[in-house]
Amino acid sequence: MSDKPIDRRAISRRDLLKTAGAAGAAALIPGAAGAKEAPASVADTAAVRAGPAAAAAAPAGPLMNLTAAETELLSAMVDRLIPSDDMGPGALEAGALRYIDRALSEAESDSVEAYRIGLAALDRYARYSRGAPFLELSDEDKDSVLIDVQLGGATGAGVGFVGSSGAFFNMVKSHTWQGVFGDPMYGGNIDFIGWDLIGYPGARMRVSEQDQRELEAGQLPPARRSAYDYGQFQLIRGEED
Amino acid sequence: MSAAASSRTQMSARSALCALAFTVCLPLAAEAQATFVVESPTMRAGEMMPRDYSPDGRNVSPPLAWRGLPDGTRQIAVICQDHGAGNPPPWVHWIIYNIPGSATGLPEGIPFDESRPMPPGLEGAVQGANGWGMPMYRGPAPPGTSLHHYHFAVFALDAELDLPPGLTRDELLEAIDGHVIGLGSMTPHYRRHPENQEIDP
Repeated sequence: MSDKPIDRRAISRRDLLKTAGAAGAAALIPGAAGAKEAPASVADTAAVRAGPAAAAAAPAGPLMNLTAAETELLSAMVDRLIPSDDMGPGALEAGALRYIDRALSEAESDSVEAYRIGLAALDRYARYSRGAPFLELSDEDKDSVLIDVQLGGATGAGVGFVGSSGAFFNMVKSHTWQGVFGDPMYGGNIDFIGWDLIGYPGARMRVSEQDQRELEAGQLPPARRSAYDYGQFQLIRGEED
Repeated sequence: MSAAASSRTQMSARSALCALAFTVCLPLAAEAQATFVVESPTMRAGEMMPRDYSPDGRNVSPPLAWRGLPDGTRQIAVICQDHGAGNPPPWVHWIIYNIPGSATGLPEGIPFDESRPMPPGLEGAVQGANGWGMPMYRGPAPPGTSLHHYHFAVFALDAELDLPPGLTRDELLEAIDGHVIGLGSMTPHYRRHPENQEIDP
């Protein structure tokens, strides 16, 4: 493998949650990382007006930017990044796929080809190294494959990754995090699954002393509101549009 | 071996590892008195590692076996490293320690998932942080078609140290310093073959 240390461990859900809080919080703030992917379609504007519940209720359906086979592969990969387990629902339930698809339609449209190439290479690497398509591997073997992809070990296997396999892994991981921990207005974090997962109490315009005490005691009830449910951010969004 | 005799043969963990590093092509230094045999049912020193121990295959940890441990061995630690990589070298591929002194080796495929139990006979063993910062085995994938040597160093320790998981190589060497009463190693090599890379998807 390439002799380049990484500072993130992406497979373990436990480890993921150690660092997810910052990403989730940043995504709350318009203009921050999550807001960068803000779609600006008519449908999204309607979603802003209707609130996150309406966005969450939209059917997942087939993805617009990937084939059925590519969607299946991406779904399997995203499922292993944040699996559903005894800690709660995972990335698929949180709508990460739909978030990624929406991002690929708009702010991340330049990444569609990277997804296609990377997913094809992922499956070729699974066949080459583990002797079976990625979808047919056990969860443990899928994780092992993804670790190799993350660390760059799949790079020199001649399976078609462009540059480091780690770049593809990090792209998907980053988008998955955004889809799970970002504001629900962007199409992911359905039913606030991501925020519940990390114990984030939600976007608030004001925090009282009592709120602060409850927050520090871990007893602050979640707000369960999108930042765009607040008029202030709707105004900002309207100005951006 | 008596405690006094044991203390006479103890050596600095760093000096032991330095001495082992040269065993790739040189005999072990004379002061490293207690040596023992390290081998593998699937690998041979100076020969190619099977691809299953690399990301060209399943990337599972290889089986190791040792014999002739010095009397008084209470615990064992293993480091796999590539002295031809890393900045500075070596690049660490695997660290496992707190291995009971009664163990005669490691089976293939030590779990990379920390939540999975260690195989029978290895209770209490934990893995340290490799060069990528991950507590697991990740095998060789040298760049291009270059040939790299992978040094499996096995330390016999005179104490049950109960070290925490996730130690780096330097932290482990510091922790076992003064407790090393014997050492052994084997050094197979690996290269990625271009012909291995021609696949039929």
